[in-house]
Amino acid sequence: MDVLKAALVLFVAALLQLSVLTEYRLFRTASIVLVALLSIALLRGSIFGAVAGFVTGLLLDTGTLGTLGITSLLLTLGGFWIGRYGETTARDRFHAPYVSVAVVTALYLFGQLMLQFMLGEPAPAGLVAHGVPGALLLNLILTLPVYALIRRLFPPLELGDRIREVRLLG
Amino acid sequence: MPRNRTVRLAVLGSSVQRAAPSGFPSSRSSALKRRIVVGLLVLASLVLITVSFRSSALDGVQGTGATVLRPFEVAADRIARPFADTIGWFRGLVDAKNDNKKLRAQNEALRRQLILDEGAIHQNVELTKALNYKGPPSVAGFDKVRTSVVANPQGAIEENLVIDAGSSDGVRVGSVVVEPIGGPDGSGALIGTVDRVFSHEARVTLLTDSESAVTATDITNPQVIGSVQRGGGSSDVLVLDRVPKRPVVRIGDTIVTAGSLGAGPLKSKYPRGIPIGTVSSRSSTDADLFQNIQLKPLVDFSSIQSVIVLVPKAG
Repeated sequence: MDVLKAALVLFVAALLQLSVLTEYRLFRTASIVLVALLSIALLRGSIFGAVAGFVTGLLLDTGTLGTLGITSLLLTLGGFWIGRYGETTARDRFHAPYVSVAVVTALYLFGQLMLQFMLGEPAPAGLVAHGVPGALLLNLILTLPVYALIRRLFPPLELGDRIREVRLLG
Repeated sequence: MPRNRTVRLAVLGSSVQRAAPSGFPSSRSSALKRRIVVGLLVLASLVLITVSFRSSALDGVQGTGATVLRPFEVAADRIARPFADTIGWFRGLVDAKNDNKKLRAQNEALRRQLILDEGAIHQNVELTKALNYKGPPSVAGFDKVRTSVVANPQGAIEENLVIDAGSSDGVRVGSVVVEPIGGPDGSGALIGTVDRVFSHEARVTLLTDSESAVTATDITNPQVIGSVQRGGGSSDVLVLDRVPKRPVVRIGDTIVTAGSLGAGPLKSKYPRGIPIGTVSSRSSTDADLFQNIQLKPLVDFSSIQSVIVLVPKAG
């Protein structure tokens, strides 16, 4: 059931990003897909996050007719990393989604720049550096409603499940 | 109490085994599984990047995927359109009074200009006929494919958009794309060129992309020849580069595509006379070889909803 819900949420987010939000220059650097993916990864873990990131990236690359795999790679790593962060320490903390979104937004932008550079495509670092504060701000603003919605759709796991996540030795 | 007690025993005081959790087990096998899954996904991404970047083997799959996605994108756009229109209406209301005054003055000036232009056009047609003059290709020599934008530029780096027309409509790599308002022949101002074509979609690289450049001239002073490309910072500004210090370009002049200069083998893919922008600032110092000319584009690259693709005339 979680898989279906995640597929639907990320598909709608991708459509919103491809055709609606990016019509406005202000929202070009923001990424509702990234925010939704990180929220899901935080609540459902690293494997879920990585797979969701891979499929969503493929969808975005197909929609923009870009080089397949670039967005998949970045979103896979982002989803996996934040999933691990959620599994190990941060799921119940208030600041977790905001910290996750802020860190991954910056890394995503520079990761994209790096991949473009490695593929020999235009990689204007100055432009990305200028875009980072705006992207951070917008993504953090988006995090508030998006994470609240996703938390409703993906309620946190039972206490018992969480206790088993950490194994003490000695 | 044994030394190797579990956290459950310490917290709950019970050693009863729970059912296998549906959450995130952290046993050694699940850690291995996690690593395998992420490793495979990263590997798959790298393979996709390599194949997609180095060959066109995946173009068919990608084109089909984009075609499947298109109705959903159109539906999302239609659902969001009333909201976007409402925002646009309020935004327009704020500027309406100022715009009204400005447009009235502009209208008067254009009316006067039109009378002069009509005379010049008539004279031009007569002289062209009399001299049997064959000029460089113009917009009139192309068929026009009108289409809508299905995906806007994503992120800070990308300066391209996806349009709802492809090779089945006659669109080719290198086809010139203009905005369907204003300009001579109702063709509009320059947007960019097509860089990837699928059967029903194509990707357009905007003029604001750092790799785009077009040879351009001043409509009122054809001796001015330069190259229009993206300015250093914002994509709202273009620069007309490589223009010698004489003749001087005036602020407010309209810059258009120059087309092919002479009859060399390297023909420009842009027909002559497509408007690009107006000169917004100009400067030069004694040390400069060229004038520093900034242009204000006639197209708002952030909100393009429909375009015209110029394709070679059939037959």
